[in-house]
Amino acid sequence: MQGHLPPGIELIKVDDFQEWLVDLRVLDSNPLYENEVYRLKFTFGKNYPIEAPEVVFAKDATHPIPWHPHIYSNGIICLDLLDNAGWSPVHNVESIAVSLQSMLTGNSKKERPPGDENFVKYNTQRPKDINFLFHDNSV
Amino acid sequence: MKVVIKQWNAVAAWRWDMPDDDVCGICRNPYDSTCSKCKFPGDECPLLLGECNHSFHMHCIFSWLRQESSQEKCPMCRQPFKSKAQDATGEAPEPDNDSALPT
Repeated sequence: MQGHLPPGIELIKVDDFQEWLVDLRVLDSNPLYENEVYRLKFTFGKNYPIEAPEVVFAKDATHPIPWHPHIYSNGIICLDLLDNAGWSPVHNVESIAVSLQSMLTGNSKKERPPGDENFVKYNTQRPKDINFLFHDNSV
Repeated sequence: MKVVIKQWNAVAAWRWDMPDDDVCGICRNPYDSTCSKCKFPGDECPLLLGECNHSFHMHCIFSWLRQESSQEKCPMCRQPFKSKAQDATGEAPEPDNDSALPT
């Protein structure tokens, strides 16, 4: 897979089939994301790709969580293709990373989802077990 | 000159009648290889062609269709997945005897 990845997407840790780290950059000159590198953490279940992987943004000293009305400040992403209802087994790490890259590229709102503070404080569920309502088709 | 053949070894190769570089969209293995669970390609791990003309290893598409969330749709085009009566091996479909029966 390495070698023909789209620009702005880089594999960081791919040691096993349990957890991958992938770095993501937004290439268009979007002031929200300029000069920042984001780190995605993919966790694969034994049923992948029949079931979606868990995909979150991981925060550390050099990798912030990108601003987006569908990305919580703890890195959890609300995106239909990552939910069981919207997943298709022909998706893969590359197509997910490209989708997230374009989701950021098209965004101009420096916002978190409504209720972010409470969600981040009290959520104990795994991202896949959360019942997101996909109500917003504009971003 | 008379030649007497004492022994011969035949070697044959086979492949599915599919484009060379194509992989199963689900497991990403070549069609000529197996799904991720099988060891031997061929009749044990055949391909299945849908009416939408998308094909997969039979085991791959079956494990997807068994998922409730698949809603029995093709992973590629999200149309209802129905296997074409003719499978990718080029075998003729079973004749439809029902229509010939007197009613």
